[in-house]
Amino acid sequence: MNPEKAPIIQMRNIEKHFGSVIALAGVSVDVFPGECHCLLGDNGAGKSTFIKTMSGVHKPTKGEIMFEGTSMHFADPRDAISAGIATVHQHLAMIPLMSVSRNFFMGNEPIKNLGPLKLFDHDYANRVTMEEMKKMGINLRGPDQAVGTLSGGERQTVAIARAVHFGAKVLILDEPTSALGVRQTANVLATVDRVRKQGIAVVFITHNVRHAMAVGDRFTVLNRGKTLGTAQRGQITPEELQDLMAGGQELVALEGSLGGTV
Amino acid sequence: MTSLFKKLMLATAVVAAPLMVATTAAAEGEKYILVSHAPDSDSWWNTIKNGIALAGDQMGVEVEYRNPPTGDLADMARIIEQAAASGPNGIITTLADFDVLSGPIRSAVDQGINVIIMNSGTPEQVREVGALMFVGQPEYDAGLAAGLRAKGDGVESFVCVNHVISNTVVGERCRGFADGLGVDLGGQMIDSGQDPAEIKNRVMAYLNANPDTDAVLTLGPTSADPTILALEEMGLAGDIYFGTFDLGDEIVKGIKSGTIQWGIDQQPFLQAYLPVVVLTNYDRFGVLPGNNINSGPGFVTKDALGKVEEFAGKYR
Amino acid sequence: MSEANTPQAGQALVDDERIKQISPLRKALIRPELGGMCGTVIVFFLFFIFAGDSGMFNAQGVMNWSTVSAQFALIAVGACLLMIAGEFDLSIGSMIGFAGMMIAIFGVTLGWPMWAAILVTFVLCTAIGGISGYIVVRTGLPSFIVTLAFLFILRGFTIFLPQMLERKTIIGGIRDAAEGDWLAPMFGGKILTGLFQWMGDAGIIATFERGNKMGQPVVEGIPMLIVWALFMIFLGHFILTRTQFGNWIFAAGGDAESARNSGVPVNKVKILMFMFTAFSAAVFAACQVMEFGSAGADRGLLKEFEAIIAVVIGGALLTGGYGSVIGAALGALIFGVVQQGLFFAGVESSLFRVFLGVILLFAVILNTYIRRIITGER
Repeated sequence: MNPEKAPIIQMRNIEKHFGSVIALAGVSVDVFPGECHCLLGDNGAGKSTFIKTMSGVHKPTKGEIMFEGTSMHFADPRDAISAGIATVHQHLAMIPLMSVSRNFFMGNEPIKNLGPLKLFDHDYANRVTMEEMKKMGINLRGPDQAVGTLSGGERQTVAIARAVHFGAKVLILDEPTSALGVRQTANVLATVDRVRKQGIAVVFITHNVRHAMAVGDRFTVLNRGKTLGTAQRGQITPEELQDLMAGGQELVALEGSLGGTV
Repeated sequence: MTSLFKKLMLATAVVAAPLMVATTAAAEGEKYILVSHAPDSDSWWNTIKNGIALAGDQMGVEVEYRNPPTGDLADMARIIEQAAASGPNGIITTLADFDVLSGPIRSAVDQGINVIIMNSGTPEQVREVGALMFVGQPEYDAGLAAGLRAKGDGVESFVCVNHVISNTVVGERCRGFADGLGVDLGGQMIDSGQDPAEIKNRVMAYLNANPDTDAVLTLGPTSADPTILALEEMGLAGDIYFGTFDLGDEIVKGIKSGTIQWGIDQQPFLQAYLPVVVLTNYDRFGVLPGNNINSGPGFVTKDALGKVEEFAGKYR
Repeated sequence: MSEANTPQAGQALVDDERIKQISPLRKALIRPELGGMCGTVIVFFLFFIFAGDSGMFNAQGVMNWSTVSAQFALIAVGACLLMIAGEFDLSIGSMIGFAGMMIAIFGVTLGWPMWAAILVTFVLCTAIGGISGYIVVRTGLPSFIVTLAFLFILRGFTIFLPQMLERKTIIGGIRDAAEGDWLAPMFGGKILTGLFQWMGDAGIIATFERGNKMGQPVVEGIPMLIVWALFMIFLGHFILTRTQFGNWIFAAGGDAESARNSGVPVNKVKILMFMFTAFSAAVFAACQVMEFGSAGADRGLLKEFEAIIAVVIGGALLTGGYGSVIGAALGALIFGVVQQGLFFAGVESSLFRVFLGVILLFAVILNTYIRRIITGER
């Protein structure tokens, strides 16, 4: 993290109500370029609502979103995407039957004009895909390899690489490691690290403290729609984070009964 | 991969080989092909198949039966083209739709293949396509004769159950029948489709909607068999005047029990048997009858059922 | 877990000993069309042996099965693209009957110039295709059901309209009405007639022995039906593999939700594919009507299944997102060659369905195997 830089995105006192349910009750988070900002919280803490507000799916009931210093009102996700806020969902926007390069450029196909015809520029797509995949440490058999042959971690990596390639300044990762094995998780975390070093702001949503500690620069814990504070790396221990996530007291009692293994 | 490929190939060959060898080995004498317009489901054509088989045996020639599986006449045109390409001595075909079939038939004739039209067609059309002759029942005339007969029996209105609405020639039977009765055909012809359950239900629906209908006319076993069931179910069997074209097992039973007053036999056996005999003799000795052969109509009533019953569905 | 050991983890993943290396030859062979290619070779091989001397491979015989295959190919291309886009069209056969009947009604009953009849029919059919597509994407109902409804609706009109207007179910006289028309030969005409005449004169192909066509070759030329089929195959293959839109077709069928998230206009793609399928059915109908000179209410019965069978033999996945137009074209070729070839080989014609079933089964098994290799499905 670089404190001299201005935050790329500032969420100020965001409130979101769904009818009588208050999902977010005044959450403020700053994200800086080149940092990995981990957003932790248990199920139902408001993480999903928060990132959906950030990515333009929901409009905040109250509060302000500042993007690169100016106030933004996203009408829909496409607005947020064109501004440079990309989301990689748990449910990946990947089609297993299609090749990696077709997937990589899905919806953003490189065009080669042949008279009035808009041709898919396969040479360009294949070359870029292979380069980007190599940068991310995945060696494909070829650009025409189907995504279905990749592991879950590799697919996450392709999705992240795709978002980065198409100019994401803020990358929101929604529980990217929740369904992965140990080795695949390590691979995805390495990718996150690589992306952060390129100067992209990463918002990393997880409820796994160990994954957060591995790559996070700052940690914000959400509980019952509120921020329980933001901590710098090195200022907080995993145990403290775990306690914050669960709302403190209850988990201490639980943890005692489970022998401190949670 | 390669092993699977080999297995597939072997399996296909094993399945295909016996069938193909069995049929090609028989090709010695003259070869004729009979092309019908009937879909696979039309049982009336069994008699035709038996007729050509018998004629083939007796004359020592090979006769093949071909038809469009769904009864699509455009497919039938392709089959005639294909039959011509395989170079037989002669083709026996129906002329169910002149527009569609005249082109392929004329091409075959022009290639030097002898063609006899059977079953469907008019003498004018037969001359026009250059066929040798026509063997069949002039449909309008048969319908007219039946209509006159029914009129004599006091019939004033009827329903015509048409299961081959696309075959204009068969529709002529209804037209002839109406003219024989001296009434307008109008909406009295129903398109019943080929499915027995549908035919039965449509007949019942029509008779419920038009309870004053005097007579039922069916155009073949496909429509007659379900119509018998419909009448039995409605309690009209034997009560309503019922005539049918063509014969079959159920129709013969119907005539015997009195459900059906008469069946018009166009004697399909002759339509299949005679063309094979005529073509073979024409190829061998150059002899040819001087005119079309009318295979029907012949009215089959309760009184004359002996031989009909014995060979119904087979040769009758 | 520390950051230090993650690069090794990434490295280890690349050299995973459980991923078998695939040889270049095998890789070149493993394509969606492979099943279709194998099938084509097998089918031709068998018929060369069993029906080689039956006239199947003389000019007339070749033209016969080529024409039948081209018919299948025409509708298979449309059905293939639609199936890759994740939808079905069961109304293809009814659409063929309907389009032919419309041309006949406009051109003969109403007496319009034939070119106008054809163009209006194309617009009408494509619009109906668009409507069924719109209903599918709007309601989210399975296209199976929606197009099944159109199967009956269109067939019903095809029987009702001519009965109401002409009191019959076959309207003839189209050839006479199309006399001198500029558009009609685009569908019913033949090309390269000069070449075939020359081949006939040179004795390469047989000529008519008698009648008013004496001296003319038995095959006059390449019917426009075949030209259309080749054009549609080329067009379909080009769109699917070479254009941006092609990528959208794959994406729409592979996973509509993911495709939408990536900005693919899935609904537009699907509706356009329904329209394209209807268009190909209309081309089929126009060629048939112009060649045979009449339109019948029962034309095109069960053609939707023949199209789907050809597409499936060609390696496409019934659930969408995977397939190839070349494969579908090969499927149509196999279908046509087998159907006509069995007649040539003298096989009892009622056994045709048995062969069709066997081929379909083998094709699906082989294609599933190939697809698993390509896509890593389990």
